[in-house]
Amino acid sequence: MFEIRDLHVSYGKVTAVRGMTLSAEPGKVTLVLGANGAGKTTTLRSAAGLHKPDSGSVVLDGETITGLPAHKIVKRGLVLVPEGRHVFAPLTVMENLRMGGYTTARGETGAILDRVFEMFPVLKERQDGAAGLLSGGEQQMLAFGRALMAKPKIMMLDEPSMGLAPTMVDTVLSSIRAMADSGIGVLMVEQNAEAGLEVADDVAVVARGEVVFSGTAKEARSNSSVLRAFLGEAALVSES
Amino acid sequence: MTAWYDSNIILIQSTFVGLLTALSLQVPIRFGVFSFAGVGCYGIGAYTTAIIVIRLGWPAPLAMGAGMLLAAVTGYLLALVLSRLGGLYLGMATIAFDLIVTVVVANGGELTGGPSGLFGAISDVGTVHVALTSLVVVVLLALSERGRFGRRVEAVREDPELAAAMGVEVRHYRQLAFVISALLGACAGGFNVLLRTTIAPTDIGFSLVTLALTMIIVGGSRSWAGAFIGAVIFTWLPSVLEFSGQWQKVIYGVIVALAAIWVPGGLLGVITDAYRSWQRSRRAGGSSDVGPGDGDRGTVSPRAEGTPA
Repeated sequence: MFEIRDLHVSYGKVTAVRGMTLSAEPGKVTLVLGANGAGKTTTLRSAAGLHKPDSGSVVLDGETITGLPAHKIVKRGLVLVPEGRHVFAPLTVMENLRMGGYTTARGETGAILDRVFEMFPVLKERQDGAAGLLSGGEQQMLAFGRALMAKPKIMMLDEPSMGLAPTMVDTVLSSIRAMADSGIGVLMVEQNAEAGLEVADDVAVVARGEVVFSGTAKEARSNSSVLRAFLGEAALVSES
Repeated sequence: MTAWYDSNIILIQSTFVGLLTALSLQVPIRFGVFSFAGVGCYGIGAYTTAIIVIRLGWPAPLAMGAGMLLAAVTGYLLALVLSRLGGLYLGMATIAFDLIVTVVVANGGELTGGPSGLFGAISDVGTVHVALTSLVVVVLLALSERGRFGRRVEAVREDPELAAAMGVEVRHYRQLAFVISALLGACAGGFNVLLRTTIAPTDIGFSLVTLALTMIIVGGSRSWAGAFIGAVIFTWLPSVLEFSGQWQKVIYGVIVALAAIWVPGGLLGVITDAYRSWQRSRRAGGSSDVGPGDGDRGTVSPRAEGTPA
């Protein structure tokens, strides 16, 4: 169980997140929807230890990990996949994966690597190629695979479908479902609400730095204000 | 050979000192830390060594060790103070540090000899010592460019935030860069004062920053080999360019500008690219039975594509 409770974060004098509360559970995908500037990315970055929150707490399996340095948070099993398909472009696919296993004991990396290759066969094929030469979708797979190397209990995905070709979006989303089904908790920020709702179990909607709706994916689909804000009027008409 | 060695001994020694100085700026750049503090640490190392040898009469290795220790501590403190700076701002702050060291030693009264500096740091340190030290340093740095450690350094340079998200202690790597840079700079400074027996504030100022930076820009910033190429060229070039008199500085400037614009990988980049294409053409001509995939994998190295940081 992973919880972000009443988190407040600011950049200098600008408050980006005011009282954000989110949670994620093993085996489930929690979708976080919200407009640009709603504080989604900031929340994930603060939870991952890349930015210090002003107040509030981040709790993983009963332990408070708020404000710990990033490397200690990764060791506890909370791993962030940043937005924009960040990979170490000049390193090979294999080297990228090994970087992901930075906090994992050496003896274990082999077995995890096999599982990652099983899940993403394309990474095995391209393992000696430069990560920067992969297609957008493949780079996103690599980013997932790299995060899996750290043996995460909870993965935070920031905009995994951003800038991908429509067919690739489906592939990426089904691999997110597969990762959750393997027992990992996924907390996913996504602009593409329609696609995100297909794989999500729970949904939280954030606006101006706080949560304005939270419930199951089914509830979200029948909530008119959520639909209007993220799926457009047409979806509202067809649902009702 | 011996006659050539005897008549060029100063230049040979200067090449090694230049190499160590260039490396003290190159190491942080490889870590993605734009710091010139290595030159200030050169000053700290040189002055500490000279003061201890002249005033206390300690043996040379101990004096140099003390200088390097003091520089390493200074480097670590600098890393703490400047931990939030990056890019050009860090470059400016560290150049300011170099200038502060110059000002302090120029106004240090009897201890540092003021503007005229210190004389008579006599020891039995010779070419062999500086050459062997350089060899050890180069071997260690060559190792640091490979394997797990090399991969992490590259990750920290390419995308510090992503590296942090992977669990890499980016801050520690940055601090390490400052400390290694300080040790190399102080080592270079210590050797220089023991080989020349004198040191003055003008030896450690802004001109040393430019010289060391020139070496790694023209030689190549990606690997120790680039620093070596640069050190050889810019130690020996002045004696070749003697005929040009006052135009020497202009020629220097033109070389640096040309290198920065057309060969961002430095001469080392040019050489490795040429070697790769020679290998490729040899492979293509020699063995037609090798599958196309095999040939590609060997020659298209991912690192050849990127520009240096």
